[in-house]
Amino acid sequence: MGQEISFPTSNPFNDPTFLSTFKIPSRWQPTFETKSYPSPSIFATLRRARIPKPNDFIPLFGDCISVASTRTQEFLVFKDPENKFHPGSEVLTQIFLMTYITQSVSLNLINNFTCTAMTPEQRILLGADWVWALLDKPSKTPKIQIAVQVLHLHEREEAEDHTCGQETYRESMQMAQRASSNRNMHEKMVDFCTSIGKDCYALFLFFGKKNDRENIYGVLSNNFEAANGKYHRFDRTLIENFFRGSRYLHTPSGMMHAIISKRRGDPLTLMIKFS
Amino acid sequence: MDLYGKMAATQDVRGKAEGGDQNFDYMFKLLIIGNSSVGKTSFLFRYADDAFTSAFVSTVGIDFKVKTVYKNDKRIKLQIWDTAGQERYRTITTAYYRGAMGFILMYDITNEESFGAVQDWSTQIKTYSWDNAQVVLAGNKCDMEEERVVSVDSGRLLAEQLGFEFFETSAKDNINVKQTFERLVDLICDKMSDSMDGDPAATTGAPTAKLTDSAPPLQQPSCNC
Repeated sequence: MGQEISFPTSNPFNDPTFLSTFKIPSRWQPTFETKSYPSPSIFATLRRARIPKPNDFIPLFGDCISVASTRTQEFLVFKDPENKFHPGSEVLTQIFLMTYITQSVSLNLINNFTCTAMTPEQRILLGADWVWALLDKPSKTPKIQIAVQVLHLHEREEAEDHTCGQETYRESMQMAQRASSNRNMHEKMVDFCTSIGKDCYALFLFFGKKNDRENIYGVLSNNFEAANGKYHRFDRTLIENFFRGSRYLHTPSGMMHAIISKRRGDPLTLMIKFS
Repeated sequence: MDLYGKMAATQDVRGKAEGGDQNFDYMFKLLIIGNSSVGKTSFLFRYADDAFTSAFVSTVGIDFKVKTVYKNDKRIKLQIWDTAGQERYRTITTAYYRGAMGFILMYDITNEESFGAVQDWSTQIKTYSWDNAQVVLAGNKCDMEEERVVSVDSGRLLAEQLGFEFFETSAKDNINVKQTFERLVDLICDKMSDSMDGDPAATTGAPTAKLTDSAPPLQQPSCNC
C-alpha cells in the first residue's frame, strides 16, 4: 500500500496566535464587574487554539456513513409477508443519499467535504450516482474525489425493469444514452475517473451481495482501468471478484485514512464494509 | 451539401430514427464553456427553467438540458451542454466539443482571470471543434456593477478580435440570457443557409476528420429556419 504522507506540522513558536496567548492585551483594564458565569482558569489561556488538521473530517464522514448505512439497511432487509411489494433499487439509493446529506449538513461536514448528487443525465453520461470531494481549502477545488455507483441485487434490478421503465424513456435520457459511448455503466464511471487522474477514485457500492444480502459493501480503486484494459468486459462479476482476493475489509473511516495517507499518484484498491 | 448541412441533417435523422421526440425539424448541439464559477450553470438554468439560485455548486464533468425553440415555423431542439470549468475535467469536457454547432464562451465581468482565459477557451474551440462552429462571447454577472473589473468595451473589443458576437448578461437578473441563445441560433441558421446556397467555398471546405467520422447518409434538409 502507499507510503504515508507526512503533513507539515506548524511550529507553535512561529504561530503568532500561540505567543499571543501569553500577552496581556494592550487595552486591558482591570474590571470589577461581577459575572454570573465562572471566569476561565488562567491555565486555560495556555492552551493553543485548535488548528484544523487535514484528517479532521474523517470521523465525521464515518459518522455520516454509519447513519446512512444503518438506515438503508432497515429497508434492505424489508420483506413483504405477501411477497408482493418490493422497494425499488432507486429508492434505496435515495434513502442512503438523503440520510448521508442530512447528516453531513447537521455535522457541518460540507464545507470541505462535499457530496454532489448527479442529475439523471449525468448518471447516464458519467456512470456515477454521486461524487464525494475533499476540497482544497483556499481554492475550493477538489483535491480528492470519489465517484460512487450503487449496485443492487440482481432480482431487485430485474423487478425494476418491469415497474419503473418510464423514466428510461424520457427524451433527455435517450439523448444522454446516445451521446455517451456504448460502454456499460461500470465502464463509464471508470472512464470518468481515469480521465480525471489518480486522485479520483471509483467506488462500487453493493447494497447486498449474493452471499450476504443484508449488508453494504464497497470496492474502491483509482486503478480500475488496469482491469478494464485487461479483461474483455468490465462487468459486475469482475467487480465482485475483487472480494475473493481480499482478506481484509476496511471501515469507511479506514478507507478515507488510506486515501489521505497514500502517496500521490500511487494506485490504491480497497474492499470496504459499510454496514 | 457541406458539412454544416450534414450536421443538421444528421441530428434530424437520428432523432427520428431512434424513436425520440419526432416533433422537431432540427437539433442543434450547443456548449457553454468558460472558467469555473463564471455562471454557466446558472445561465443554463435561467434559460431552460427560468430559475436562479445564488448557491454555488461546482459542476461535475458535464451535464445538459434540452429546450425547443421556434424559428420561421421550424421547431429547433437545442441540446445545451453545461461543461465544468475546472481544469481537472478538461479531458472529459473537450470530448463533447465534437459535433457542437455553437458555443457560448462565458467570462465573469467581476473576475479578470476569467476574462484573461477567453483566448485559451477560444483556442480550445478551434482545437476540438470544427471550423464552422459559431461562438458568442458572454460577459456574465453584469448585475454586479460595483464589482466590475472588465469594462464593456474590453469585452466588445476582444469579441471583435476573435470574430465572435458579444453580450453582457446576467443570469440573476435575467438580462440578455434569451437574447444570447437566440443570437447563437440565428448565427447557426444563417451559416446553414449560406451552406445550402451552394457557396463553392463553403461546400468544398475540407471538413475535419473528427466530424466526418460519423457522417451519415446524406439527406437534403430544407433549410429555411
